[in-house]
Amino acid sequence: MASVTIDGRTYEFEGRPRLLQFCLDHGIEIPHFCYHPSMSVPANCRQCLIDVGALMRNRATGALERDEDGAPIIRYMPKLQTSCSHTLSDGQVIHTRRTSQKVAQAQRDNLEFLLINHPLDCPICDQAGMCPLQIQAYKYGPEGSRFEFKKTHKPKKVKLGPRVVLDAERCINCTRCTRFTDEISKSHQLTIIERGVKNYPMTPPGMTFDEPYSMNVIDLCPVGALTSADFRFQARIWEMSSAPSITTTNAKGSNCNYWVRDNLVLRVTPRENPAVNEFWLPDEDRMAYRRFNEDRPEGPQVRTRGAFHAASWEDACAYAARLLRGAGKRALFLASAHAPVEDNYLLIRLAAAVGGRVAGFIEHMEPGHGDGWLRTDDRAPNSEGCRRLGLAPVGAEMLREEIASGAVGALYVLDDDPVGAGLVRSEDLSDIPVILHHYHTTNETLLSADVALPSATVAETIGTYVNEDGRAQRVVPAKAVRGAHRTLMMQMGLSRADRHGTPFDRWHNESNLINCKPGWEVLPMVARAAGCDFMDRGPRKVMREVADTFEAFAGATYKVMGLGGHSLPPR
Amino acid sequence: MATKAGDWRSYQRVLLPPVRDLHKLSVYGDYAALRKVLAEYSPQEVAGIVKKSGLRGRGGAGFPTGLKWSFMPPIKAGVPRFLCCNGDESEPGTFKDRQLMEFNPHQMLEGILIANYAITAKTCYLYVRGEFADWITLIDAELAKAYEANLVGDNIMGTGFSTDIVVHKGAGAYICGEETSLMESLEGKRAYPRIKPPFPAQSGIWGYPTTINNADTLACVPPIIKRGAEWFAGIGAPGHPGPILYGISGHVNCPGVYEYPSGMLITDLLEEVAGGMRGGKALKAVVPGGASVPVLRADMIDGVTMDAGSLKKAGSMLGTAGMLFLDEDTDMVAFLRRVTRFYHHESCGQCTPCRDGTGWMENLVTRIDEGEGNLRDLDLLLDLCNQMEGRTVCALADAAAWPVRNTILRFRKDFEAKCRSSMWTAKTVA
Repeated sequence: MASVTIDGRTYEFEGRPRLLQFCLDHGIEIPHFCYHPSMSVPANCRQCLIDVGALMRNRATGALERDEDGAPIIRYMPKLQTSCSHTLSDGQVIHTRRTSQKVAQAQRDNLEFLLINHPLDCPICDQAGMCPLQIQAYKYGPEGSRFEFKKTHKPKKVKLGPRVVLDAERCINCTRCTRFTDEISKSHQLTIIERGVKNYPMTPPGMTFDEPYSMNVIDLCPVGALTSADFRFQARIWEMSSAPSITTTNAKGSNCNYWVRDNLVLRVTPRENPAVNEFWLPDEDRMAYRRFNEDRPEGPQVRTRGAFHAASWEDACAYAARLLRGAGKRALFLASAHAPVEDNYLLIRLAAAVGGRVAGFIEHMEPGHGDGWLRTDDRAPNSEGCRRLGLAPVGAEMLREEIASGAVGALYVLDDDPVGAGLVRSEDLSDIPVILHHYHTTNETLLSADVALPSATVAETIGTYVNEDGRAQRVVPAKAVRGAHRTLMMQMGLSRADRHGTPFDRWHNESNLINCKPGWEVLPMVARAAGCDFMDRGPRKVMREVADTFEAFAGATYKVMGLGGHSLPPR
Repeated sequence: MATKAGDWRSYQRVLLPPVRDLHKLSVYGDYAALRKVLAEYSPQEVAGIVKKSGLRGRGGAGFPTGLKWSFMPPIKAGVPRFLCCNGDESEPGTFKDRQLMEFNPHQMLEGILIANYAITAKTCYLYVRGEFADWITLIDAELAKAYEANLVGDNIMGTGFSTDIVVHKGAGAYICGEETSLMESLEGKRAYPRIKPPFPAQSGIWGYPTTINNADTLACVPPIIKRGAEWFAGIGAPGHPGPILYGISGHVNCPGVYEYPSGMLITDLLEEVAGGMRGGKALKAVVPGGASVPVLRADMIDGVTMDAGSLKKAGSMLGTAGMLFLDEDTDMVAFLRRVTRFYHHESCGQCTPCRDGTGWMENLVTRIDEGEGNLRDLDLLLDLCNQMEGRTVCALADAAAWPVRNTILRFRKDFEAKCRSSMWTAKTVA
């Protein structure tokens, strides 16, 4: 096998890998800005310089040439090479900054150049704290600058599109953003304009940067030049804590991080997962975080004499149980493509326990929304999970007829909005008791509901979602709900890098806490109140039970899914 | 004094011969060299003749032309191959291609056709600097006549060889003269130089095999075919033979483009060709090959001839043979200020060291020129040269750094005279 020597250590490789990627894969740090593994290599930041040499061999015999001391003679290339564009070949000797003073000096020089026209407004820059330029300038840069002139001035706070704002002065012209629109999203909505030290990315004349994936350039930008119009100046990076999760605006289940401060989700960034979304996230996923913060229900409610009244969880569950017992076999349950697999499974169990039946789940199709990439026609995250549990989409006609014929004694709706989805009309439900296990207050079914049990959103619960490709992915809570909840708290602690959140992130106090509970906690409460023999188990055990019971979920335990998900066998 | 140029006084011009109205097809003739090539030689033989003639590229780097042609990969069905003629002449102090295009465009076009034949390309893109608008019009008109006479186009002169010439007008950026960014520009993209390898012969215009030659280089080809490789190899300096268009400018009595053999003594060119220094002043400095090559002090040019070897020994380069003579009154700081301003303005902005370094250099030289500079600025400038050289995709950073380094090193006294002696003195004075 071919081998190279990097900093005196020998590595074996196959094929013709790029040196920078090879080093990153092997844990060798090489500073870089313009290189991105999924895009072309322009080698324009000139930061990832390395010294490349080859062992000299005798042309006739092929034997290594040696000097008087017997050490092999290495011939180095006259110029330093950019490791991003350098392809490895057998027998090369490579020195990174760790072993070559020349390379370290060259990288220091380059950072000096990068910083002379950079505004150095880190104290007010959104990128500060997770800025490759800032980090690498501190780590590898010179101690000061010898530049004593006026910096170049370029346009600031330019609105490139509805969601992306440009500060051209911060730009280091790595062209990651223009390459993204050219090579990945293919919208060609960004280009570099002007020349030399004045150049910066801009939309071509007459164009707006409004493609559905525009906000990815914000993450790609190695400086704070491209910022989110929405998140701009909202929070410093170090004030927030992030939790790995998935997005739920469609059936793709793109991996993301939810960034939280004071128990409010402030932004959504992509999380790398080669099997799902690689490095990208559609804008709709990023902008869908407000529903975790705003317009949330506060505790369970029960309708008495036509009006809603706040109730305790015990009372609300007891009332729901009474309604279900009254309906008996005529109790109809609606599963949900918005709820995790665990909740839907427990709903099936509850229906069986009280003698009712599950009609199916409500489908949320929006034909024409999908683009074959990270957006799908299906606007719910767990339709595939419901199908794998043996549930089918509910037909509107069938449901209306059943209600009209009086075959429904009580309707239990899990995490969904049948009225808002156009499945039934509000008047249809006026005669039957409705238990709404809802997750949102902007819910049109709420007007017809008799019991409303607010449930935790994807940012607050633990659960499993199955995307349209059959990949089971689990979520962990990013923010806390009101009341001590041991299971959630433990998972939440685990989900945060430092286990406790940051000193600025007051998620543990009472501010912005929502009084809601995850489905896998409420459903057993209802069942117990109904007098059923129902095991109260945590989501982990529920999911193990699902994995053991259903062929379609074989092997999908929390441990197996981990953070990257688990591909389920084809259905 | 015997020179490598031999008996240059009796030299017969071949690139810009003294013929009235040579730019007209009727005067130039019917492409005899092309006719000879198509009738007698195979493509490989043509490349062999050019290789044997020792012709080196006239665009500045001086790469052997025949060798470059032989780098083209074998012909593959369905893979187009291109020739590109670089007429984007924008180096300060260089104005030779312009003369060719104005006075002898057909020789260049004939050279293009012969090269197209040698590398079996069906199309040549002639990239001309946009500022040469008049000569683009002229070339367009003359090319139309050549098409009419069946010297270009389908089935040339009934030999079955077909090829086209497409004239492309540049939009006025120095960087477009760099071969790979010229190709990007030709493709309608932003003229950012490409990383090499792959070289143009593997992946050039639209990713297809491409040979790119300077206009002047290609104009040398028809005489080589007509008179033979030995004749050409016998002209001028052995390592760098052939006629050279010396573009002489600066403080001389008769500036202009002069065609003479390579290997001319710089002193001969100054005294006998360009008529000596203006007003009888003394020579201070010579830039022998366009603004980017290292400047030579007057005392460094004794016996130095205009060929790659001799100039390298003297500490400079042949470049494009665009010679700039500066007299004793010249302020070298002001000269350097203008040069750095040019490179700052023309840096494409792709690579960090060049994008930010050229501007910094201009700032520093301007400060020195305005009498606000410090002595340590000179060392900083030399540091910046080190920081830029060889660290970028193309050679523009090198081209920007060489004049700075060499002008400072060779005229340090001029710079020191303009600097404040130190920070402390400045403060004390203030």
